[in-house]
Order: sequence, then structure tokens, then C-alpha cells
Amino acid sequence: MLAVDKLIKQYGDFTAVDTVSFAASKGGVFGLLGPNGAGKSTTINCISGLLPPTSGHISVDGADIVKDGKKAKRSLGIVPQELALYEDLPAIENLKYWGMAYGLRGAELDTRVAEVLDHIGLADRAKDLPKKFSGGMKRRLNFGCGIVHKPGVLLLDEPTVGVDPQSRQRLFEMVEAERDAGACVLYTTHYMEEAERLCDSLAIIDHGKLIASGTVTELKAQLSARDVLQLNGDFPDTGVGGLIDTLQGRGMHDLELISQADGALTLTLSSASQYLPEIFEGITAMGGSVSETSLRSPNLETLFLLLTGKELRE
Amino acid sequence: MSFLFASFRKDLSRWRQDPLAVLLWLGIPFLIGGIITAMVDGGGGAGPTGVLLIHDQDDSLLSGLVAGAYSQDQLGELIAVEQVSMEEGTRRINDGEASGFLVIPEGFSAAFLEGETATLTLKTNPAQTILPGIMEDVTEIILDLGFYVQAMFGPEIEQIQDAAAGTVPDDAFAAALAVQIQGKIDTVSPHLFPLSFDVQIIEPPPAEPQPDIALLFLPGIVMMALLFSAQGMSADYWKEREAGTLRRLVSTPGLLSRFVYGKALAAAVVVAMLGGITLALGFAYHDVDWNKFVPSMVWITISGVGLFAWFAALQMLFPSSKAANLLTTILLFPLLMMGGSFFPLEVLPDWIASIGRLSPNGFVVDRLSTEFTSANAWTFDARSWSIVLVMTVSGLAVCTWRLQTGFARR
Repeated sequence: MLAVDKLIKQYGDFTAVDTVSFAASKGGVFGLLGPNGAGKSTTINCISGLLPPTSGHISVDGADIVKDGKKAKRSLGIVPQELALYEDLPAIENLKYWGMAYGLRGAELDTRVAEVLDHIGLADRAKDLPKKFSGGMKRRLNFGCGIVHKPGVLLLDEPTVGVDPQSRQRLFEMVEAERDAGACVLYTTHYMEEAERLCDSLAIIDHGKLIASGTVTELKAQLSARDVLQLNGDFPDTGVGGLIDTLQGRGMHDLELISQADGALTLTLSSASQYLPEIFEGITAMGGSVSETSLRSPNLETLFLLLTGKELRE
Repeated sequence: MSFLFASFRKDLSRWRQDPLAVLLWLGIPFLIGGIITAMVDGGGGAGPTGVLLIHDQDDSLLSGLVAGAYSQDQLGELIAVEQVSMEEGTRRINDGEASGFLVIPEGFSAAFLEGETATLTLKTNPAQTILPGIMEDVTEIILDLGFYVQAMFGPEIEQIQDAAAGTVPDDAFAAALAVQIQGKIDTVSPHLFPLSFDVQIIEPPPAEPQPDIALLFLPGIVMMALLFSAQGMSADYWKEREAGTLRRLVSTPGLLSRFVYGKALAAAVVVAMLGGITLALGFAYHDVDWNKFVPSMVWITISGVGLFAWFAALQMLFPSSKAANLLTTILLFPLLMMGGSFFPLEVLPDWIASIGRLSPNGFVVDRLSTEFTSANAWTFDARSWSIVLVMTVSGLAVCTWRLQTGFARR
């Protein structure tokens, strides 16, 4: 069980994580979503003991990471975003070393290392040096080093960045296996499709603040059934407000402007395809023009857009 | 404790994967040491360095004694005597193939016995200065000695000569001649060996054997291997940081201090191996007392780990690995220069040697030099050992402190 309560991390005047609270339970995957620089990695670093929180509490399996760090860390497994391996040490020795760092010894260590090698598909390359491995193999070994001690809480910090689709699929399976084995998994990503596939519950973070949280179903429900309509073209700044009012007056009661920037208008609206002729007509009437239109069904990406006014990958 | 062992085993295994670095740490001092030893040692034992050519036209007992005088005792280590013909001697001295050419003329023996003048001709090599000078001095001494012997025992020598020319002299002749010679010695001995004062011979205390110059280079060469390896291995903290393993380590319950000690233990093995090979070859070459080998090994291993720890601590103070490597490399060379690795402390100007002995490596080298050149067994000096131990422990403590205060977390 992982519990983060009113976590604040400041660097001078800059607040990287601002009063973030969430809880993740065993046997589930909790997703922490947000664009680059949102505060996900800082949160992970505070949880793993790399950074001391400015204030707030973090509890790992009931142990406070600051007050009882050694006990808390024994329950933690980390798979960092960047590879953290000894490239000049055979794969099996890497696993043994990290296992010993977590207190595994003797036969227990040997057994567990053999299990992990099998699990990550590197049993036949156990004695090879990681510097001879492909990128995907290194990622798997990196993952293996994080789970060698059977952690109760597993932190995965954007583990699929720069990973080919095949290795990504393998990583998903390994994460699911850990979850099924009863681990509490905290998974940070800025890929919504990953979050939708893996996570039971989610928290969306932006500018260091938690802006939404809940199960995937709960979060999607916040969107109702509204589509996301993106229009590219030429839109006079002064006319957009009037356009929205006009269109709402024509029966599009739940029409909402999400963003307007760089010749792009993003709107949400129920049954948007039915209203496209009226929308184009209104834009022409205000002196604008449309060069490209895209219509999307609601998903987590849409929710993020709705909450922050920007794309997740920005 | 077992994480310390894990850290030790991990680093040892990693160093084994990089034999080139280890060979370089050993190879550079060996190359420099080999050149230095060859320069100051000449590459072999001392043999005669000059050649005296002798053409003996007299071919008598006396001329043979003169020729033999040049190769007696220590003179024989300097001068090799060769009997040659007149033509060969002339040619070789003119070609500069010898230091001197001595011609003993025919009738030399007769002239000596009759007290007449005989001329010995010594032609020397103008391209040389010292050896021809020695040959001239020796010739003069032989001639002076001959003058006094002839003056005192001329008749007796003449009798021996006559007897040698005829039949074998009988015992009565030999006894009479011996009595005659002894009588002369008894007559002059009060003047030659006066007993008017008592000579008390006081044996000086056994002097410390003078070390050969090449031996003075040995501690510095050993230290060179230690410094290169210590500086090279210290960069490993930066390698670990850049590989992300230090960050991962901080998130484990493994203690950073044990990580540091494990690393130091692996460094100790590398240092002991490099130092041991260098020392063993040095001991064998310079014939140093092997009883000093084990204490020397312990001394350089502890010192090597201390130097490694301080290099690592320094590296961790810099903001980037490039800056850290560059600055520790720059620091390495003044340390080598002043600490007696390129030139022994004994031959450096006093003020540089004084500074050098205060440097950590100079301190270690100075102690090794003292022990290597001493005829006594290795002396346990508590103060020196304490200084080295404090240097090592404090270096490791600074490394741990740097890891705990942010270096590992970035």
C-alpha cells in the first residue's frame, strides 16, 4: 500500500509538487499522468527517498519514507526512466547485486535471480554483459533489477520511453504479472493509451498539482458523451466569443471552448457531427475559414485537454 | 556486511572486464622505471672499463711483474691488460681502441738491476681523460717502488737473477740469501716501522651500505603505479552516477558507507596487485631484503586506498565528470614530480624535497626509501602508520559524506 498525503516539494520559490495526495492499493496499477515537467518524476523521487519532501507524508507499506526510510525502502522497487545498470557486469551479477542491496542472501537470492531471469526472458543471456544487449533487452533487465526482491510497492517511471512496440508489449505483460502477484504498482506515463490499458485508477497532474483522480471509468464519466472537435484555419480573435454564444443559441447547449491558439480552435460538444454545417456557417459569417477538421470520441486525452486546455504530449 | 561484500565483488568483477586500464596503470610506470633504471644502472655489472695494451720487449721476470701490477686488486676492475705486438698496439692506440699503450724496452731488467736508466714508453688515448691519468699515476708508482727496491735489495736481486740463469740453487744459497735480506730489513725496520708510538686501531661502526642510485627510484616508480591506478579508479564514482546506478542505490536500503567500503576494498585488491608486481620485480632486481616485502605491500596497499579515496572525494566535488577528470589529472603530475616519482626525493633540491615529503604520495615514498636503503629490518613506526591510516579513513569518510549529501541523488 502506498499513501501520499499533501506532498509538497519546493526548490527555492519554485513549487514542483504542490499538495499532492493519492493512495494506491495492492494488486492494482495506479497511473500518474501528466505532460513532461508536470511533477511526476519529482513525486516518484520523493516516494523513493531520492528527494526529501518539503512537507507532507509518504507511507510505503505503513512505513514513513523519511522517518523509517530503511524499512520503507525494503518494500520499494524502482524501475527508473533512464537505465540504471552496470553495463560491464554480467546480467546475472547485476540482478544479484541489486538483490543483495535489498537484503537477499544465499539460496533465496539465487532462486529469485533465476526466476527473474526467466521472467524477463534473459535466462539464456544471463552471463552476457548488458553492453552487448539490444535496447529492449536492457529495458527488461532494468525492470528485473527493480523486482528482484519481490517489492510490495513497485514504482515505474515512464518505463516505455524510447522502447520499440515489441519490447513495450513485453513490459506491459511484466507489469501485469507483478500486479497479479499482489504488488502495488505506481506507473507514470504521458501516454494515455498505456494508462487506459494498464491502470485501474489514475491521477492527472499538471504544474505540480493533482487536477483529477479516480478510476478510468470515473474519469471518463466526467466527459459525459461530448466529442472533441478541432478546427484548423483562420479565426478572427474578436469573433470567437460571439460565435460560441450564437451556436449555443442554436441548440448546442453543451458547446464549450477548450482552447484557441495558433489558428486552431478546440471545442467539445455532444453529437458534434450533426452540428458541423451550422458551425462552418457561423465561422464563415464571422469572417473566418476552416482548412482542416478532426473529430474525436471522448477519452482520457480529451479529459486532460478539457482540464488543462493543452495536449498531454505538449 | 554482506552488502559491503556485494559492492566489493561487483567492482572487482567490473575491473576484471577492463584489463586494458589495469595494464596501462602498470605499463606506464614500468616503461618509465625501465628507462630510468637503464639510464642510471647501465644495464649490467661493472667490468673493466679501460684497456691497457702492453708490448713487453724485455720478456723478463721483472718486466712480467710490472705488467702484472696493472691488473692487481681493484685496479683490475678498472683496467684490462692485453699483451700485444708493437704493430697491433700502435694501430689500436691510434684508432682509439685502448686507453693506453705501454712499451717495456729490451734490457729493462738488466738496467734496473744495474741502476741504469731505462725508458718505459706510455702512449695514452687523448680522447679519454680519467683512465689514461690513472695509468700514468700507476706507472709512476711502480717506477718509484722499483727505485727503492733496487736501492735496498739490488745485490740480492742480482744474485737471484744469476742463480735463475744457471742451475737450481741449493738450500744453503737460499738460506744465506734469506738471512742477508732479513738482516737488511732488521736494520731499516726501526726507521720504517718505529715503535715509538702505540697505534690503536678502532674499527668504525659498520656503515650503512650505500644504495645504488636505481634503488632510490624504486619507491617512486611503485608510487607512480599507485597514483595512476588510484586516479583512474576514482573516476568510477562519476561513471556510476552517469549510469544511474548511484540514484538507484539511494532508493535501496543498502548503506552508502558499505558501498564506499566495498569499492575501497576492490581498489585495495587492484592496488595490491599492481604494487605487488612492481615491488616484487624491484626487490628481485635490486636485491632488497625479502623480509621487507610483506610490510612494504601492506604499506602501499593502505596508502593506495587512501590516495584512491581522496582522489574520489575530490572528483565528487566537481560539477562534471570532465572537469573532475581533468583537474585530478592535472593534480597528478605535480604530485608525481614533487613526491619523488620522476626524481628521487634524495636528489631533489632541499626545498622541493621538503614540500614533496609533505604531500601524501611523497610521505609514502619517503618512508619506503628509508626502509629499502636501510640495512636493518623494517621498523614499525606508529606515527607513520597512523598518518596513513588517518588519511585513508578520512578519505573514505569524505566519499560517504559526498554520496549522502547529494552526489548520488542527481
